Amino acid sequence: MNEQSSKKILFNKSTLFSLKAELLKKQEEIQEKKHLPQHNLENFKPAQQTVKKSNRTDDEQKKSLKDNLKAVDAEEFEACRKSKLMLEKKAELYKHLSDEAGNSQLASNFLVDFKGKKQETPAKPVPEPEEFEEGVSFVDDDNEWTEFTDFLGRTRKCLKTDLEHYKKRDEELMKSMTNATKDKDSNIDTETPKLPEKPFLVQKTNDYLQSLREKWEEQERKLLSKEKDIHYQDILFDEARIHGVGYYAFSTDEEERRKQMEELVKRRQETLMAQEKAEEIRKKRDELIAARVAAARARQRARAGLPPEDPEEKKKDFTTCLLEFLNKQKSEADKKAKEEEDKKKEEREKERQKYRETYIREWDVGKEGVGDKVKKFREMTQEEYVEQQRAKRNDEFAPPQTTSHDRSKYSFDIRGNKLATDTNKNDKNKSWSDVRPVIAPPPPIIGDVSEVSKTQKGLYFSTKNTKPVVKYKNFVRAEEPSPINNELSEEEEDSVVEKNKPEKRKQNSNYVEIEPPPTYDYYGPNTKYSRIEKPFTSDLREAMAQGSKRLEPKESNIQLPKHYDFTFE
Amino acid sequence: MTASEVSYNRKIISEDLSNVEFDTSEDVEVIPTFDSMGLRDELLRGIYTYGFEKPSAIQQRSILPIVKGRDVIAQAQSGTGKTATFSISILQSLDTTLRETQVLVLSPTRELATQIQKVILALGDFMNVQCHACIGGTNLGEDIRKLDYGQHVVSGTPGRVFDMIRRRVLRTRSIKMLVLDEADEMLNKGFKEQIYDVYRYLPPATQVVLISATLPHEILEMTSKFMTDPIRILVKRDELTLEGIKQFFVAVEREEWKFDTLCDLYDTLTITQAVIFCNTKRKVDWLTQKMQEANFTVSSMHGDMPQKERDNIMKEFRSGQSRVLITTDVWARGIDVQQVSLVINYDLPNNRELYIHRIGRSGRFGRKGVAINFVKSDDIRILRDIEQYYSTQIDEMPMNVADLI
Repeated sequence: MNEQSSKKILFNKSTLFSLKAELLKKQEEIQEKKHLPQHNLENFKPAQQTVKKSNRTDDEQKKSLKDNLKAVDAEEFEACRKSKLMLEKKAELYKHLSDEAGNSQLASNFLVDFKGKKQETPAKPVPEPEEFEEGVSFVDDDNEWTEFTDFLGRTRKCLKTDLEHYKKRDEELMKSMTNATKDKDSNIDTETPKLPEKPFLVQKTNDYLQSLREKWEEQERKLLSKEKDIHYQDILFDEARIHGVGYYAFSTDEEERRKQMEELVKRRQETLMAQEKAEEIRKKRDELIAARVAAARARQRARAGLPPEDPEEKKKDFTTCLLEFLNKQKSEADKKAKEEEDKKKEEREKERQKYRETYIREWDVGKEGVGDKVKKFREMTQEEYVEQQRAKRNDEFAPPQTTSHDRSKYSFDIRGNKLATDTNKNDKNKSWSDVRPVIAPPPPIIGDVSEVSKTQKGLYFSTKNTKPVVKYKNFVRAEEPSPINNELSEEEEDSVVEKNKPEKRKQNSNYVEIEPPPTYDYYGPNTKYSRIEKPFTSDLREAMAQGSKRLEPKESNIQLPKHYDFTFE
Repeated sequence: MTASEVSYNRKIISEDLSNVEFDTSEDVEVIPTFDSMGLRDELLRGIYTYGFEKPSAIQQRSILPIVKGRDVIAQAQSGTGKTATFSISILQSLDTTLRETQVLVLSPTRELATQIQKVILALGDFMNVQCHACIGGTNLGEDIRKLDYGQHVVSGTPGRVFDMIRRRVLRTRSIKMLVLDEADEMLNKGFKEQIYDVYRYLPPATQVVLISATLPHEILEMTSKFMTDPIRILVKRDELTLEGIKQFFVAVEREEWKFDTLCDLYDTLTITQAVIFCNTKRKVDWLTQKMQEANFTVSSMHGDMPQKERDNIMKEFRSGQSRVLITTDVWARGIDVQQVSLVINYDLPNNRELYIHRIGRSGRFGRKGVAINFVKSDDIRILRDIEQYYSTQIDEMPMNVADLI
């Protein structure tokens, strides 16, 4: 073919026919050669890849054929394989470029119109731009031509004079390729025997992708360099995503984009208006038709001798009326029920909203404004309030805590020093002797001097620690002293039953018991004897509780809810 | 809780919720179309051009409560439009005239944060919304410049976002919503402190939205610490796997056989796009190398790669230039590539949640998907456990698996 092109072309019917015949012959030849075993690609590939490889295009096969013819011995075999892989990669690039899905921007880098090319015969060799000049010169009919094998294992032919130049280019190519692969896959060590193949494989993904990556990088650089709004198109980066039918890829240029957007809005409004108009027209037409039909019917009736139809009069029998009425009622009831429900819901929602407003998240505590909010809005529960008040209270005014300890923390030793108020703090350092309960000595027995003689007669002395006895002259023995209780009580409550109680209490008590002061009640004439005899019925707390209970109805009739009743449990 | 209970429970108490069963809240409205959601016109246009036509179940239920300003916990199956759910809600509640950060979206991986940025920009393409991906591994100066420029929404990873907040480059005073995508991961041990750190800088009572396909009980338990009376939209775990994703296993006797199996499956992998999960970064490297040695074209990605490389791999995979991706769990959650129809668990995942997320990389938004698990004989027990836990079916791989993709 190339020979012909160099000659002067005689253009007539017979030359065209002979050309066609020649072409067919060549194609047949190629088909035959393709089936020769050494051109069977599968022979060189691992079994897993067969399917993938089989979909290679014709042009790449033709190329590989040329090289494969020379692959006879083992060395050449290896070289041939390399070259084939390289060509395959090229073929893939071409395929992509000639594909409609191919990237148009990339295609614009090349001088060849791949789309147009695709429509032509597939047997045409596709030249690669960098090697364009080399591709042309594969006819070997001159002594000036020479052969050499390049880095990729391809056997090349060139003019002897150009050999030096091509060798240099080959070296450059080798350098660039090995470098590119090395820095890409530094994380994968390359100590395997298949070393020469690996960089190639990586390169295979790289070659086309590298250009894409460069493009993306360029896009990103553009994004960063400009102080501008970022839109979807700017960061799409060729993503293969299926969008909706109305999708429109705006320009990445701000000005252009604005124009497009305006245009879109304009079109949209036009569409809306057109729709409205169409709707109007349709309505009008329907009306017209309806009128015509009515007129026709009226005419028909007139012809039949019937009175004209009254459009308002509609035949309604009783049942339909009833049904309608019932339906109406039902819908009304439904509506009412729904309204009520909505109202309830709304109320509930309001309540929830209030709750939400007062809610404080744990992670928010301590943030600016959150503390104030507590003071302003947060209502303490009764318990919290009580706890807070307790914390504020001076300990000395706290009620004795006897439930857990054997003795009150307000017990005193003989000398009147307060005992172990800080037991909790220093418990660890103290020995048992420090903490053991010290109980005040019992009060002296008070009696008449005359009584002494009964117990101590004559000169009787002893070292035994006797109970202190205080004796008075003219001692008037009072009845068993008992604390005052319910003095305010008006009625004389029956107390005979509980007469024993004071005794009992005395026995069980761990308290220091101090006698009531001598008063007129004790020492004076017994005007109200029974009062004195009135036994100790309850402890202080109970009394308080009773008292407060009694006061309650007088002050207010409000019964406090149970959880507010924090008096004493 | 009824209304009467509410008024007496105002104190902050740490209730024991371990025995409480969380359910979808009552009164969750279902809105069948985007048109009837009362969304702004430009947003609606964005939704339709992005390819949504009818809202998915989660979108029908969650968009409105989020727009109303309620705290929402939303759970839905993988690939059913969760990201779009909160993106739409965010866009609806934005004030685009106010050039300040109003919404903060946090996600566990940089790729996911970038993807969310993309979705928000896509849906808000007609709204002139500005959304920035504030992620680690990128230039700090650029980040600062972008934030200074004024961003309505910031989608980021906790580390970089917190850094930006602390530098006062990311001002929080106008933030009214915090979204935690993949919430269970974000509130797990590794991330929880970072989330707390960020949260402490937000105005009190900021609206919080939690989104994930998996929400284990312990995560739901702790939500009261940073959410106020949230609306829950949950999915029972036996409904969590998608019908559209067929699950299979291949029994291998020894670890080495997995590789051969994978090679045999290669042709199936390349029908559309496939993701292969390994449990460690080292194994990813190893497998990638081995595949390449055997002349298979694969790409790989994991957390130890430089961010630039990660970005490139993502772009290549998204653009369809690479078809087989070998990766770690960095890819397990949230990443959406429509064409992925096959997931291979070269190693079984370390927990049940990850299984759901991994297989959910395929079968996106109603598409078909296939998940293939490589199991050694002692792994089969784990697989059966997963099967039972989610009440799903994992059969032995049939010969015609390619037909299912």
